[in-house]
Amino acid sequence: MAVVVRIPTPLRKMTQNEAEVEAEGNDIDSLIEDLESRYPGIKDRICDDQGEIRRFVNVYLNDEDIRFLNGRKTDVKDGDEVSIIPAIAGGN
Amino acid sequence: MLHLQPQTLKKISEHAQAEYPEECCGIILSGNAVLDQSTEATQQEYVRPCRNVQNQRHADDPEAYPRDARTAYLMAPGDLLRIHKESEQENRPIKAFYHSHPDHDSYFSDKDKADATLWGEPVSPDSAYVVLSVYGGEVRDIKAFAWNEQQSDFVPVEILPVGD
Repeated sequence: MAVVVRIPTPLRKMTQNEAEVEAEGNDIDSLIEDLESRYPGIKDRICDDQGEIRRFVNVYLNDEDIRFLNGRKTDVKDGDEVSIIPAIAGGN
Repeated sequence: MLHLQPQTLKKISEHAQAEYPEECCGIILSGNAVLDQSTEATQQEYVRPCRNVQNQRHADDPEAYPRDARTAYLMAPGDLLRIHKESEQENRPIKAFYHSHPDHDSYFSDKDKADATLWGEPVSPDSAYVVLSVYGGEVRDIKAFAWNEQQSDFVPVEILPVGD
């Protein structure tokens, strides 16, 4: 069993239009590395040059924003669900 | 053209007025088709207000978030996830995102466009963006914008009030 990762619409071109993919890892960081090995280029969309999750990307472990957990060092385990959802923002 | 129910327009207007002088934000979900009295098929709509966490992010990191909630919005990530789940589980597509411009007109600003586009693509190409202009606490105008594939840009779309 692996972790289910929910992919947002603008990234589905990289996952052959799959809305849900599986990945493996012990924490968010290694999960993203595994995604990168399966879908080259996807890490660059999610993380900046320092490997930090981009500000305009929300990553959730199950129902929690990982900003309120341990960020990209948040542990994940088999059966967890990780959701990637772009931030919705704007201003006048 | 964006069909919205008068009740939806009323709800988002009340939300915009309640949050004034700060920007409000939220999501309009569409539901199952229903028949109204004129037997024209219309869709149920669900207005889901979100918390605007711009003030909090601005306080935490003013360099990354130079604006406060009077001139910007950022939907609370928790609200966004909850509404996305409702959208998927209840089969209620995201019809539109809405936000207000306190003491400004209802245009789709450069920031609105930049934030609605990610990695060179629209974040949610099938959803419209509704902008409410609020002056002195009263909604003056509501406009809508949608992604146009041919023009690779957001363009104004007419709002047509329909249904109950």
